[in-house]
Amino acid sequence: MLLLSAVGLVAGLVGALVGIGGGVLIVPVLMLGFGFGVRVAVATSLISVIATSTAAGGVYVGSGLANMRLGMALEVTTTLGGITGGLVAVLVPERALEAGFAVLLIVTSVLMIAGRDSGKKSASAAAGATEGFEERGALAGAYFDAREGQLVHYRAERWAVGSAVALLAGAVSGMLGVGGGFLKVPAMNLGMRVPIRVAAATSNFMIGVTAVASLVVYFARGYVHPTLAAPVVLGVVAGSIAGTRLAERAHPTALRYVLGAVLVAVAVQMLLKAAGRMP
Amino acid sequence: MSAPDGIPGAADASYGEHRVVRTVLRAGLGVSSALLVAGLVVIAITGQGRAPAVPLLHIFAEHDSGVLLAALGVLVLALTPMVRVVALVVLWSRERDWKFVAVAVAVVLVLAAAVMLGGG
Repeated sequence: MLLLSAVGLVAGLVGALVGIGGGVLIVPVLMLGFGFGVRVAVATSLISVIATSTAAGGVYVGSGLANMRLGMALEVTTTLGGITGGLVAVLVPERALEAGFAVLLIVTSVLMIAGRDSGKKSASAAAGATEGFEERGALAGAYFDAREGQLVHYRAERWAVGSAVALLAGAVSGMLGVGGGFLKVPAMNLGMRVPIRVAAATSNFMIGVTAVASLVVYFARGYVHPTLAAPVVLGVVAGSIAGTRLAERAHPTALRYVLGAVLVAVAVQMLLKAAGRMP
Repeated sequence: MSAPDGIPGAADASYGEHRVVRTVLRAGLGVSSALLVAGLVVIAITGQGRAPAVPLLHIFAEHDSGVLLAALGVLVLALTPMVRVVALVVLWSRERDWKFVAVAVAVVLVLAAAVMLGGG
C-alpha cells in the first residue's frame, strides 16, 4: 500500500512539475513494476485522473477562469469519445493497448522535451489570472490578467473543430487512461482561439467527465480494484498539490529531459511486452 | 470577491454558478477521500491482503468492509463529475440559459448511455 501511494505521489508531483498528466506515469509503472494487466492499470489511472481533475477543477472554477459553458459544449463529444475508447479497450487484445500506450509515451516524451517550459507555463497558467467570468448563452467570457493589469475578453470560435479534437481526446483517454489535455488545450487555444490560460483551466475542468465516461465501462466489467486505486489516488492528489506549489519556484528543464529519456525507455519495454518478448 | 469591470450582470451570475460548482467538486473529493482513507485504515488494521476487482453492480455485495469502503470511495469520486453536470442543468435552468441546459442534458444522456453500454 505504501509503495502504491509512493507511486501515486511521485506521478502527481512529477506530472505537475513538468506539466503532464499522472496517467502517463501510472499506467506503465503498474504494468511493468507491479505486473497488473493493462486494463486494470488504465482503470486505476482513470480514477486518478478524475481525482486530480476534480481537485484542479475546483480551483479553476472558483477563480472563474474555467469556462463551464465552453467545457460543457465540448463534453458532448469528448464523453462520446470516452465511451468509445473504453469499449474498444475492453474488446481489443491487450497487446494492442500496450503498443498504443508505447506510442503515446514516445509522443509525450517528444512534446515534453520540445516544449521546454511550456508545460510549466500551462500548469501555472491560472496563477497570473484572477476573477474570470463567462457570458450567459455564449462561448465567451473574460478574465482579469493580474500580470498585464487588464481585463481580457475572448469568444471561442469554430466549435466543430474543437469538438472533433475533443472526440479524439476522449477516445485516447478511454483507451489509455490519460486525461487528454495534451489534445484539448491546443484544440481550444489554437483551434477555437481561446486564451491559453482559459484553455488550460477549462481542460482541467473537463477531464473528469471525460474520464468518467470510460471508467464506467471498466468499472462495470470488473477492472477496478478499489484497494489498488485508493493508495494510488490519494498519493496522486497529494503529489499534484505539492507539485503545483513547487512549479512556480522549480526549474524543471533537467527533469524534463531525464523524464523524456525514461519515458522512451519505458516505451521500448512496453513495445517488447506487446510483441510478446517480455512477460 | 468583486466582479471585474465588463458585463456586471454576467459576472455576478457567473460567479454564483462557479461557486456552487466549486462546492460540489470539493465536497465530492472530500467525501471520496475520506472513504478511501477509511478503507485503507480498515485494511491496514485487519491485515487484509486482498486486492480484489469489484464490478460496479456488485459493490454492495462486498463483505470485506475495507474493500467496501474503498469501492464506495471510488464510486463517489466517479459520481462527482456527474453530479456537477446535473448541478449545471439546474443552475442554467434558473438562469433560463436554455441553449446550455440542452447541452448539459445531452451530456447527462451520454453518461447514462455509458452506464447502460458499459455493462455489455
